[in-house]
Amino acid sequence: MTDLAVDQPDNNVPLIVTDLASIPAEPPADILYVHKVSLMASLKTLWAHREIMYTLAERDFRVQYKQAVLGAAWAVLSPVATLVIFVVVFSRLKQAFPTSGIPYPLYAFVGILCWTFFAQALGNGGSSLLANKALLAKTQFPRECFPLETMLVTAVNTMLSWIPLALLFVIFGRAPRLATLWVPLFMLIEVLFAAGITLAVSSLIIQMRDLQQVLPIIVSLGIFMTPVIWPFSYIPTAYHLFGDVTVNLQAVYGFFNPLGPVINSVRQTMLLGLNPSWWPLTTAFIGSLCYITLGYKIFKRYEVNFADIA
Amino acid sequence: MPTLPNGSVQVEQVWKKFRSDKTAPLFYDQITRLSKRVTERGKPGWRWVLKDVNFEVAPGESLALIGVNGSGKTTLLKILSQVTFQSAGRCTVAGRIGALLSVTSGLHPDLNGRENIYLYGAVLGMSREDIRRKFDTIVEFAELEDAIDRQIKFYSMGMQMRLGFSIAAFLEPDVLLVDEVLAVGDANFQQKCLRRIGEIVRDGTTLLYVSHDLASVEASCDRAVWLSDSVVRASGPTKDVVTMYRTAVEQSSTLLSTKDGVVRVVKAELHAADGGQLRSECEVEVRLVLNAPERCMASFFIGISQGTAFPMFVIDHQGTMPEGDFEIVCKLGYLPLPKGHYSLWTAITGFPKGKKDPYLPWQPVISFEAFGPDRMEPPEGVMALSPVYVGAAWTVS
Repeated sequence: MTDLAVDQPDNNVPLIVTDLASIPAEPPADILYVHKVSLMASLKTLWAHREIMYTLAERDFRVQYKQAVLGAAWAVLSPVATLVIFVVVFSRLKQAFPTSGIPYPLYAFVGILCWTFFAQALGNGGSSLLANKALLAKTQFPRECFPLETMLVTAVNTMLSWIPLALLFVIFGRAPRLATLWVPLFMLIEVLFAAGITLAVSSLIIQMRDLQQVLPIIVSLGIFMTPVIWPFSYIPTAYHLFGDVTVNLQAVYGFFNPLGPVINSVRQTMLLGLNPSWWPLTTAFIGSLCYITLGYKIFKRYEVNFADIA
Repeated sequence: MPTLPNGSVQVEQVWKKFRSDKTAPLFYDQITRLSKRVTERGKPGWRWVLKDVNFEVAPGESLALIGVNGSGKTTLLKILSQVTFQSAGRCTVAGRIGALLSVTSGLHPDLNGRENIYLYGAVLGMSREDIRRKFDTIVEFAELEDAIDRQIKFYSMGMQMRLGFSIAAFLEPDVLLVDEVLAVGDANFQQKCLRRIGEIVRDGTTLLYVSHDLASVEASCDRAVWLSDSVVRASGPTKDVVTMYRTAVEQSSTLLSTKDGVVRVVKAELHAADGGQLRSECEVEVRLVLNAPERCMASFFIGISQGTAFPMFVIDHQGTMPEGDFEIVCKLGYLPLPKGHYSLWTAITGFPKGKKDPYLPWQPVISFEAFGPDRMEPPEGVMALSPVYVGAAWTVS
């Protein structure tokens, strides 16, 4: 008998029945939840979860070309196709802008590449929270992984479309200049700027879906407000405000739209072999830092509601 | 604040509110809302889904959250896993959280099984290295060796569920949150999942388990918290809390179902044939006095349940139903119930089956207490689906 006796756990948990009358109608004000997250702490958490970001990006990249006969080859094929159309159309048009002797297709294509990255990052990243609704409401890791992961995919896609640019150089019998080595710095400014805007927009879109409809309209306007097809030099460097006071409008513009100086600088270095104009570039850098800080703050502020309204 | 040992959960005065008007952002709705604000002054635009919830779970304990739909169980798990945030109060979970709130939401239909294991594993918080190490175990557990390189949109629902659960089953967190994920899948796999959950708990993982399946709750949890209408109604040993919950469900279903039907229940009785206590294995007599508007052929049903509309057993009889007041007497040769609280349900339908609305819809008519031995406990981690008492004489030689 004793051999068969099983050790019963000490079940001394009391049964507690709640007195419903003891529950107040409202929570006391001193225990209200305040969502306060420091940006540094968030960055640390994000870094700890970077693998999730890579995995999600890998997912999107794989899904993009699943069940396509040519598979990942499309990543290169589609920008080449765009390029062919581009060259055919633009080499027949009368040149409208001064380009310092650079063939216009080359001149414009550089601008368009920079712009496309921004537009796609914003377009895809902006709706990334909505696209990942199912995950958003069921799993727990930093929410900024979604827009940033989407940007990562866009970045890889953009990188692949630099291959047709190389073709373009060959077609026009030119070579990128040594100053091209500066380009990664410009790209950093662009990425910071794009990330800031994307974070803010994605956190707003999920609460106000109207933005999803408005965004493409704004983006397509943006291409004309940015020196993509026209030269940055249209904006004066010394604008007479009054009397002797002049202001570098390029620098002012650069602060608000860092893409301007970025595109201009890529052209100056890669195509002309000049040094970039540092003033607009500096304000663009400061501007993009402001955008990313503000964007991240907005995102973190609204993150509390994401799972509830998604 | 003293730090909690790994694997403990502390919920202190947690409140959560949801907006009650889901479509509020629409311009049209905004206007309606403004006009409502004038007409229905003082009515809030939100409601509480959790009110003043308090409980603690020690490392290695397993706690069940039970309650009807919409009582706030899932919201509580979501707050614990920081998918969403509480409106007031504090929630502390010490250690790594593994939240299994939905088995298939992390899976991507266009990816194959292999890719999905890496994707879902990462999303649930496993590192790539971890997944690589456990990959074969996961595939074996899910029984998907042959299908692993197929896109999962070509999987059956059950296969997807098996894949999702298997990934989560090898997460090795300190605290595991499981939300009603065993609802799909065949009986074999359900049993396997429960066994795996039992193993995880034995290895020292804290478990928070949400389920409507009270049998599996009783099989896998030491303690339970009963949520009802956004508040914790009771907490304590699983058995006691589950009994309270069952009783409450039965009461509300009485309220729900006694309205319709043309036959009225006048009186219901259930007593032991020898006039004594209702004991397990004794002979029982059920006496029902009913009133019918017309004479017709009918099927009579009597069943016994533990609170829910799902009876433990049903007996039926076909015959002529007389007009006016009439009496049904049904003798049960043997009461197959362990000690506990039960209810007697009854229904009368037209005969032959399904021709008309039931004369008396399935409803509880009386509840009673059975005395006798306690229910036999099944082996650990096994669900006892029909908790009947079977008297037996054993010899082990």
